Amino acid sequence: MSESYVCFSDFLFKFLVIGSAGTGKSCLLHQFIENKFKAESSHTIGVEFGSKVVNVGGRSVKLQIWDTAGQERFRSVTRSYYRGAAGALLVYDITSRETYNALTNWLTDARTLASPNIIILLVGNKKDLEDDREVTFLEASRFAQENELMFLETSALSGENVEEAFLKCAKSILAKIETGELDPERIGSGIQYGDASFRRLNRQQQQQRRPECSC
Amino acid sequence: MDITKKIKSFVARQGSRSPCSPVEPLVSRDFVIETAVVKEKDDYRESTINPQAEAEILQSIEEVYFNDDTFDACDYQLKKIPAELDLNQIIRDKEYLQKQQYVVSKKVSDLILQNQTAYTQELHRVTELQKNLEQAGVICSQGRSHLARARKDFTTASLGILASFRKRERLLGLLKFLHSIKTMQETDVRLRELLEEEDYPGAIQLCLECQKAAIQFRHYKCISELSSKLQDTLEMMEEKLDVALSKVCTNFNTTHYEKLQAAYRLLGKTQTAMDQLLMHFASAIHNKAFTLVLGYVELCAGGSATKFQKHHYSELAKLITVETFTPCLKDLCKALWEVMHSYWCIVEWHEDHDSQSSQVNAGTEVNLTHQYVRQKLEHGLLRIWQDVQQKVKTYILASDLSSFKFDEFIHILDLVRRLIDIGEEFCNSKSEDLQESLRKQSVNYFRNYHRGCMEELRMFLENESWALCPVRPNFSILQLQEFRFLRHNHSRSILTPPSSPAHSKTESTSFSGRPREGYFQGYRYQGNPFEEKTEEEDKEDVLAPSTTDEGDGQPLSDTDSEDEDVADELKKEYVDEKTGDTPNNRQQRTTRKTSTSSRRRQILILTNTTLNVLRLFGKYMQMMNLLKPIAFDVLICMSQLFDYYMFSVYTFFYREMDFSENALSNKLRTTLKRIRENLILAESESDFGTDTRNKDKVPAPVLSTMVDLKSIEQLYGLAERVTAAESLVFLANQFEFLHPHLETFIPSSKKAFLQQFCSQTILTAPELRRPIYMTVAARGVDYNQVLMLMNCVKWDVHDIMSQHSYYVDILLRELQVFSMRLLEVNKKTPIPKEASDILWEHCIRLANRTFIEGFSQSKKCTNEGRALMQLDYQQFLTKVEGLTDLRLVPERELVEGYIKAFYLLEPALEQWIRSHREYTPKQLIGLVSCVTQLNKKGRQKLISLIEEGDKIRR
Ligand SMILES: Nc1nc2c(ncn2[C@@H]2O[C@H](COP(=O)(O)OP(=O)(O)O)[C@@H](O)[C@H]2O)c(=O)[nH]1
Ligand SMILES: [Mg+2]
Repeated sequence: MSESYVCFSDFLFKFLVIGSAGTGKSCLLHQFIENKFKAESSHTIGVEFGSKVVNVGGRSVKLQIWDTAGQERFRSVTRSYYRGAAGALLVYDITSRETYNALTNWLTDARTLASPNIIILLVGNKKDLEDDREVTFLEASRFAQENELMFLETSALSGENVEEAFLKCAKSILAKIETGELDPERIGSGIQYGDASFRRLNRQQQQQRRPECSC
Repeated sequence: MDITKKIKSFVARQGSRSPCSPVEPLVSRDFVIETAVVKEKDDYRESTINPQAEAEILQSIEEVYFNDDTFDACDYQLKKIPAELDLNQIIRDKEYLQKQQYVVSKKVSDLILQNQTAYTQELHRVTELQKNLEQAGVICSQGRSHLARARKDFTTASLGILASFRKRERLLGLLKFLHSIKTMQETDVRLRELLEEEDYPGAIQLCLECQKAAIQFRHYKCISELSSKLQDTLEMMEEKLDVALSKVCTNFNTTHYEKLQAAYRLLGKTQTAMDQLLMHFASAIHNKAFTLVLGYVELCAGGSATKFQKHHYSELAKLITVETFTPCLKDLCKALWEVMHSYWCIVEWHEDHDSQSSQVNAGTEVNLTHQYVRQKLEHGLLRIWQDVQQKVKTYILASDLSSFKFDEFIHILDLVRRLIDIGEEFCNSKSEDLQESLRKQSVNYFRNYHRGCMEELRMFLENESWALCPVRPNFSILQLQEFRFLRHNHSRSILTPPSSPAHSKTESTSFSGRPREGYFQGYRYQGNPFEEKTEEEDKEDVLAPSTTDEGDGQPLSDTDSEDEDVADELKKEYVDEKTGDTPNNRQQRTTRKTSTSSRRRQILILTNTTLNVLRLFGKYMQMMNLLKPIAFDVLICMSQLFDYYMFSVYTFFYREMDFSENALSNKLRTTLKRIRENLILAESESDFGTDTRNKDKVPAPVLSTMVDLKSIEQLYGLAERVTAAESLVFLANQFEFLHPHLETFIPSSKKAFLQQFCSQTILTAPELRRPIYMTVAARGVDYNQVLMLMNCVKWDVHDIMSQHSYYVDILLRELQVFSMRLLEVNKKTPIPKEASDILWEHCIRLANRTFIEGFSQSKKCTNEGRALMQLDYQQFLTKVEGLTDLRLVPERELVEGYIKAFYLLEPALEQWIRSHREYTPKQLIGLVSCVTQLNKKGRQKLISLIEEGDKIRR
């Protein structure tokens, strides 16, 4: 009855959620994994973790997501998680220009600390608070374009676009693997094969067919 | 007489006709005779005879003529004639006779004439009499006819009345019967009405009465039919009663049950009813469970769902999906609870009622029945609970719960635990079956959960940058959400599941807690212990809401503010240290030292991973609390978390140094060996993960590439080492802190394990500091360079030197640099006194070793050279004291002793060598080689002594 949980995934992607404190990173992760809004969210201490197996283009991918604390004092702790992340969600709060303004710093951090191949998706969260909006969609999309980021506006409250955000990021990584732009075997790529047996199988049968889930 | 007759006939002839004439023929004959007489008389009147003569003649008439009526005078006379006929005689006779006749006739006529008036008179009287008589006759007949009428009118009528009355009475009786029969005929309707009203005793009473009546009336033809119909009705009623009884199983109602009992009592079937009831319960349990599970299976299967009907319960249970498992279990529990609750009510009802009547009917049949019922019910308790257990067990074991989320699993456990509690209350059952299934599922779940946690821990460890995770100085694990249950502990028994009565809205129905008065009383009239209205709010508070599927809980709903406090406090403390921009910090070094050491105590050194392990500790402890049966298994797993953390710290920061294992104490070495063997997947095995022996093993973690242990400026990752080693110590302390709590969770028989784990692993954790820091001390200072410089020193001088050798300055400079780097590191990561003490101690130890090693290199030495050695070491000692806050220089005597041994004479030297095994054979041989007062033989002897001793030592 629980095969889908035990099922080995084809890939494992390491993801990172970054952005200023209070932008809703933990809520996004919670919404993504539990499909619920976490009403009583408290400040993240250090780094927390969550994982979920998703289906991307017919492949099951295990996302290993690190939710970082946005506060400055945790920088030293969170720094180490940038390395070897395949994808990152850079989150700001559409009702807070301050968090939008901080994006450049976060981006610099990501670019310097993470692998150059990291796929970053810009996320404007709290889409539900339209009345308090301080950052327009247009402005943010321009920023995303300039910095070669993908972009989505989400609401961890309503769940809108939350799953899409993670999936979009994963899809983009998978596409790059398929074109050979990304090499999962390279150390620090943030990508792993789902499990050892699959890797062997994959090598043998790569050309023939997509390996079935072992269950 | 004869005369009267004649007269009579005469009278009759003359008189009016009489109605009756029985004498008539006689009269007519008389009349003939009389006429004849009269004629004769007429004939003899001519011859008148005198009365004398006449009387004579009369006299002469023979007697015979008067004799008899039947006398035939002719015949008589004829016979008198003699045989020889004499005519004269005859004529004479004839004349005589004639004369006689005449006389008689005359006499008669006379007499008649004489009596004529009398006769007429008489006749008149007679006529009159006759008339009277006739009248009397009429009266008489009238009277008679009246009498007849009277008789007719009076007697017959009254008798008729009587008869009619009697008849009426009879008919009335008949009417009553007919009424009864009619009523009986109509009973059916009434019976049905009563049944409709569920008045079973009434119906049965009626039915029984009817039956009794029917027996009375059985001579009526219509009754026999009726009574057979009544029998049918009674049977039908019993069936209905049975159906009603079966409904009791799920919905007990006192009045309803009372009626049923009364009905069965009337039927005299109280005992049978009890047997029947127990059967109903058994089937109710089965049916409820089956229908429920079937319903869920069909729901999930969607449209074409009829095929499941024929499945067995256990097969159905296997078809339950992950999503529906919990709701179905909950419903199952609810339904089974209802059944048990009904049973409980029945038991209670019988206790109440039967005890009352038992007092009255002591020793009677009624009492025996009650006893029977009581026994039945008592046995029934166990049987029912067994059935319930079986159903739930089958259901639970049919699914693999290992993939469930933590709180969902806990929820399931809680449901089952509640059921177990109920079972205990129900029949004092220990619920071995349920416990066992809980155990099985828990072990299975927990093994899987633990595997996930270990995997996650590995991820944390491999991503860990070993940077300090800033928490506030008064941080306590109790602030973590996962440990909240410990904070609340005083308010509830540790042994009950973490329900928090203090928080629950309704007192009697706290989440998962049994109502104070017990489940059955508490939910007596309404509600279901498996209905969780208050659960949502309470659960948040009690259970760790695991937000992620690998179970890393989110911290502290209420630490928002706390956390801000931490931040502020920390900013002051921590930022000061780092940037040094507060005036307080810029004080002289000496005071700074003390201030840092006091501050050091405040700053907690832990990593992100430490925090994660602590959270896992919290969750595991909740598990232990909830999974009592496997608490010990959980504890072992909890110890593995620590083991793995410890092993990681060891491999990352000690083993990589390629050191001889000698730096570890025996105890620590054993501990690490145990961990490696039990927990760590050997590299060669890593591809054979299917080997069951290795299933619970985890690969050795790999240090994050972020961590740089190579840079000498960073003192070979000293900051990371400190964070790692101190966080391990912190973790060990926390484990110690939890020790008493842990003890409450496990059976006392297992306490020894905990004790042992604490003494052998937890307490040895701080010992890892030394080898980890020693590495830094060993590499941070270039002793080899010093050794090389010492090699160049000439020790066979003949002057007493006033200036120490150059190498000492080099060594001191090295140490100075080390000290500065240490301070540099300290700015980033506070280095606790324990760490710096170890570092310095080891530095000095190694320096001492260098001294000895260097001294032992001298091939030739003079007394002056020995003095120089002392001078050099003295110089070192004075300078080094300024660098460290160590009060005592360790192993100082070792160096000094080595130098002074040079002066010893042979026997004393031999003694000294024997008693000083701290030095290497090489060092001792070096000493012996340069001692001047020995001859060749003596030197040889000592060298062989050293070599022998070395052999023994190995
Ligand atoms: N209205 C709204 N509030 C949100 C949303 N996401 C997060 N929040 C709130 O924002 C606050 C910070 O969320 P949190 O996830 O802790 O932010 P983090 O510091 O980035 O992890 C919390 O009080 C959330 O309730 C959202 O999509 N809409
Ligand atoms: Mg957060």
